[in-house]
Amino acid sequence: MSSIRVNPNVLPDLLSALAQTRQQESTATLELATGSRINQPSDDPAGAAQIVSNRDLGSQADSFLRSITNVNGLLQTADSTLSSVVTALQRAISLGVQGANGTLSSSDRADVAGELSGIQQQLISLANTSYQGEFIFAGTATTQPFVSSSTSSSGISYQGNAGTNSVQVGSNYSLQINQAGSQIFSAAGGDVFQSVADLITALQTNSGIGNAVTAVRGAFDHVTSQRVFYGNAVNQLNAQQNYLNSEKVDLSNAANSIAGADIAKTAATLNQAEVALNAELAAMGKISQNSLFDYLK
Amino acid sequence: MSNLLATMSLATGALAAEQSALTETANNVANVNTPGYSRKQPQFGENPPIVLGQLTFGTGVSLENAASIRDPILQIRIQQETGTQGELSAFVNAMQQVQTQFNNQGNDIGTQLSALFASISQLSTSPASIALRQGVLTAASNLASSISTTANNLESQQANLDLSVTQSVDQVNTLTQQIAKVNGQIAALENLHQDASAFIDQRDVLVGQLSNLIDVSQIKTESQISLTTSNGTALVAGTQAFTLTTQPDPSGLEHIFSQGNDVTSQLNSGQLGGLLQIRDHKIPSLLVSLNTLAAGISNSFNAANASGFDLNGHQGADIFVPPAASGAGAAAGMAVAITDPALIAASSDGSAGSNGNLANFSAIHDQTTFNGETPSDFYGSLIFSIGNDVSSGSIEQQASQLVLQQLQDQRGSISGVSLDEEAGNLVQYQRAYDAAARVVDTVNQMLETLINMGTT
Repeated sequence: MSSIRVNPNVLPDLLSALAQTRQQESTATLELATGSRINQPSDDPAGAAQIVSNRDLGSQADSFLRSITNVNGLLQTADSTLSSVVTALQRAISLGVQGANGTLSSSDRADVAGELSGIQQQLISLANTSYQGEFIFAGTATTQPFVSSSTSSSGISYQGNAGTNSVQVGSNYSLQINQAGSQIFSAAGGDVFQSVADLITALQTNSGIGNAVTAVRGAFDHVTSQRVFYGNAVNQLNAQQNYLNSEKVDLSNAANSIAGADIAKTAATLNQAEVALNAELAAMGKISQNSLFDYLK
Repeated sequence: MSNLLATMSLATGALAAEQSALTETANNVANVNTPGYSRKQPQFGENPPIVLGQLTFGTGVSLENAASIRDPILQIRIQQETGTQGELSAFVNAMQQVQTQFNNQGNDIGTQLSALFASISQLSTSPASIALRQGVLTAASNLASSISTTANNLESQQANLDLSVTQSVDQVNTLTQQIAKVNGQIAALENLHQDASAFIDQRDVLVGQLSNLIDVSQIKTESQISLTTSNGTALVAGTQAFTLTTQPDPSGLEHIFSQGNDVTSQLNSGQLGGLLQIRDHKIPSLLVSLNTLAAGISNSFNAANASGFDLNGHQGADIFVPPAASGAGAAAGMAVAITDPALIAASSDGSAGSNGNLANFSAIHDQTTFNGETPSDFYGSLIFSIGNDVSSGSIEQQASQLVLQQLQDQRGSISGVSLDEEAGNLVQYQRAYDAAARVVDTVNQMLETLINMGTT
């Protein structure tokens, strides 16, 4: 009779099973500790490559959001500055209308003209507003945009340029973030400083006040229309901000579905590995303890 | 007719045979844990009978031989699989080290690449800001150092592998010399018709170790074996061992020579095969990819900078040290060429507050000039290929491990020493010895009876 002979030395098999179980245990522990099932590229090569792209998009969305925050500050400063300009021009118009009243004495008109000079100074200062150290109505120049000038008829000359900047706030989405100061304050038919200066002269000479007031109204209308640009830009940024925030949520959900460890499943795997480990250790303890030698006397 | 003395001699013969069998059993038990030991099975043979007239008498037993139980074909399968296992474990170990360079730990190339584009995007909101310009320079220099560190680490790993290759070649030479020597001993014993099984076991162990190192193919002649690599490079012929030598090639990597021929590219199994695959294929191809990335980024950023004006109103100069036109060494040598943040050409019209040229930098993020991919996707593909090498290598290694384990189980079931079996044999031989002794005793008593017959 010949029976099937089995390998009498099962220790290597058990050791290798034991090593495998310990490997499972350590992988599961690492996954639980990091919450991620991709802890090195080999854990899931395709997933690891997707994570690279996911993180890049996430970082890009973050940087767009930071840009939006910075630009928002700039745009809101510009918008509120222009709102003050509009208020000042309104005051100038009502002063002009008041000055056009024929009952005013020349000294009364001089007082009105004096108040208008104050408004002119206020307007110059508003046009030279800066945000985080940079003039916001200088185009792309960094010098103070509106300075007194004896050669200019309005007494003010524009030192900035006509350049504009755009900032990328989404992939393939750039937003213009400024208007040149010359376009806002010194446009033909709506020149703020010229019209106010002309009104002051008209009041002082008591001639053509009505026309001068109409010119200031023209400047008022122009600045109001320019202000719409900033309002629109703020609205667009807010919409883009919402979009980017939801994109970030999507990206993080995607990252989680690519690499997130299934905690319940991993915990179960860990548990199974521990049970298996105990069984294997017990088997190793028992094996080769007994042989026929023990029973022979 | 037989006689008592003949019976006595028959019984003492049996005693001797059983005792020798017991010795073999003892030897099996003693070698229960010896690697490569093949159990021996005593084989009893009936002595030639004598014929007296019409009767035929048996003349007892003798121990004919104690043959080692082994399966040479199985042994060859084990050696082949050991070679595969050696290759895969060298490959996986080295590739895992490569992989650690590319783990996502916040300072890897992918993260630094994203950070550089983020810093450009920040600068666009306030293009004259020195702090934000400095941020771009810092991000650029972090990316450069991340790429060059990775490339340098890969190169030093390549140098380490080179050292391992030389060491493995030394081990191969030691083993081939030992095998040649054992071949000689086996031949000497077998020519005298003596049992060489102890040396055969030893040679199997040595060939196993050799297979783990290098691709081995066996040719068996009479009592000796000749070993070659699978494409015919001689390692051992009978009692002669052929030494492998190493010589550095122009790049400084050691090439393996056999009798004057460069056989480096022909070794594709065993530890050496695995080491060479990483040293000569995987690492160089990763370095080429890193060079493509580094040269692409350096050139694109330099071109973007040249298309605009810096804070001083001058045309932008190189941001990164320009790589060689061939791209060779671009990754290891990647560095930022400027330290003055004012030299970043953000402006498109020369005015300090313009950010118009930064769009040219941001556009690089989506530029598909890195083997047809964007820089980030290119890096992602690199990660994929590394991860895939480790993961498929590990799976193959596990599969080969299982095969090897099964083969070794099979070998164990044929050649391994079972203590149960040996215990059984021990009892069996002991009982037979006892019985033979009893026969001697009985015959002795009968002789005594015979001798004393006349005296009483």
